[in-house]
Amino acid sequence: MALLARSLRIVLAALLAIQPELVETARAQEAAAQAASLPVADEEAYKPVDKDERGLWMDTEEGERQLKASQQVIRDPALNAYVRKVLCNLVGPGKCASIRLYIVRTPDFNASMAVNGAMVVYSGLLLRTQNEAQLAAVLGHEYTHFAGHHGLRMFRQVKEKSAAAAWLAFTGIGLIASFSMAASLFSYSRDMEREADSGGLALMAAAGYDTREASKVWEQLRAEMDATAAVRNTKSRKDKNGGIFATHPPTAERVANLAQMATANPGVAGATGLDSYSAAMGHWWPVFFDDQLKRNDLGASDYLLAALAQQGWSPWLLYARGELYRRRALGNDIADAEKFYSQGIEAGGELPELWRGRGLARLKLERPEDGKTDLNEYLRRSPDAVDKAMIAMMAGETR
Amino acid sequence: MKKRNLLLAALVLASLPAAPALAGWKLVPHAKPITVAKGTLTVTPDADWNRWSVRPIKKGEVWTLDGTGLNEVYFVSGLIVGETLYRDADKKNRPLPTLTKGMALTDIPEFFESSNRIALNTSLFTVTGVEPAKMGERDAVKFNYEYAVEGSPLKRRGTAIGSLSGGVLYLISYSAPATHFYEQNRAKAEAIMASAHY
Ligand SMILES: [Zn+2]
Repeated sequence: MALLARSLRIVLAALLAIQPELVETARAQEAAAQAASLPVADEEAYKPVDKDERGLWMDTEEGERQLKASQQVIRDPALNAYVRKVLCNLVGPGKCASIRLYIVRTPDFNASMAVNGAMVVYSGLLLRTQNEAQLAAVLGHEYTHFAGHHGLRMFRQVKEKSAAAAWLAFTGIGLIASFSMAASLFSYSRDMEREADSGGLALMAAAGYDTREASKVWEQLRAEMDATAAVRNTKSRKDKNGGIFATHPPTAERVANLAQMATANPGVAGATGLDSYSAAMGHWWPVFFDDQLKRNDLGASDYLLAALAQQGWSPWLLYARGELYRRRALGNDIADAEKFYSQGIEAGGELPELWRGRGLARLKLERPEDGKTDLNEYLRRSPDAVDKAMIAMMAGETR
Repeated sequence: MKKRNLLLAALVLASLPAAPALAGWKLVPHAKPITVAKGTLTVTPDADWNRWSVRPIKKGEVWTLDGTGLNEVYFVSGLIVGETLYRDADKKNRPLPTLTKGMALTDIPEFFESSNRIALNTSLFTVTGVEPAKMGERDAVKFNYEYAVEGSPLKRRGTAIGSLSGGVLYLISYSAPATHFYEQNRAKAEAIMASAHY
């Protein structure tokens, strides 16, 4: 049984790492008052009550030490400062100071907050939230789980009910390859999810955001899942609870509840923080999107590009779209890709890879001279490219 | 069992095909030509290697000197349009890319990168060099890469050669931990690649 409890702890530690020392700020208390279902967090630092919980704490802290050393963590000070600023706006400077924030390079939509106050934000989330208010909605949601000790409560429940089942699942081949997969083993209860949604929305309102953006996060996810399914010719998984959304199913019920809460507590209409968000993400979106486009999910990737292009198709967005279609290479994809690269170049794009992509596409479209001209232009603009030797060969051959 | 070991075990299990209980290794003697991956790809190693009895895909084969964690060579022989580089283990949620019609040599590193990112569940994968090469008499592409599996502090490096003939893919890749091990056995892997023909 000790072994079972220990393995359970391991899974849970990876999943959430519950945190004790939560002290409510005035702002969050205000939010809590508005959201009747939000429990008031312990004023005193939480003390693990038994051996299993002490083990959970230790594993959580060990997990954080490993995360800290991971190559996955994005250490860019500007990006970290921005996300932290949004978090501090929500929870107030006092509590914010004790939260450790880790932005990790993972293309999934996810964020979590551990029992010890370590918050993990996936780059795939930053690619999907379309403005600061939407990011705030997710951060506020996770913070509410933390403030309500949801992780600890879940640990206790699971420990009583299904340690054996957890153990079996954990030892099953391939079930836990990453945080996101570990997360699929357990999920917060529906009540906890409702609390987190309402608590997060209250924090948003108190911080002066337009709370209508909260439901849009989940609506967008549903639309993205539809887009994935449409291209793969499968059934949309938006109403399934499996996979990476196991912890946070983007159900129609959630969308409707959040929309209703927003009507009751609108925050500041129109305050989406779009400009500050775009400014903070501008440098990173191409990197995050590159991770996304290599996932072989054209439907979702195209959906996300269109979302990013709401203010217009910039050259890098057109480049990204060209890459997406050139790499899939089915049906008319290569011809479409060629068109997108051309539009990017016409729009004043200066990214050398615009010419690389168009050149490679044109070679396949049996326009060898045009293709070689483009590839030479790529090499002129990017003389130190990692693939210069290969491209030079293609730009010169059968001359 | 230590947590790290457990997690590591889970990672390894997740990234390899489900191994039958009696998976084993067989010696591949040096200096003898040998046909690999149940196809026409033939190599002549300059050192003794070990071949895994488990095939990640029907047209794939894994060799190692002293454990795949330390050094691994992966062969693919005769992959055709519609097939994947590794076993498509989670086809519903995370399908691997398939070989497409009209692929060019420059598409091979992209196909390899995308397949590995999905199979290894990582975004920390970078192609660091791409150059023209030969596999026997045929045109080929040689490329280098490095990657880390999520949550692991360990960086791995690799080098690979790929060739296409009539839209059919032949590929050999070598990977090892970036520190020490990669360089230690790179020459032995390069010797395999230099001897390859199909
Ligand atoms: Zn939640």
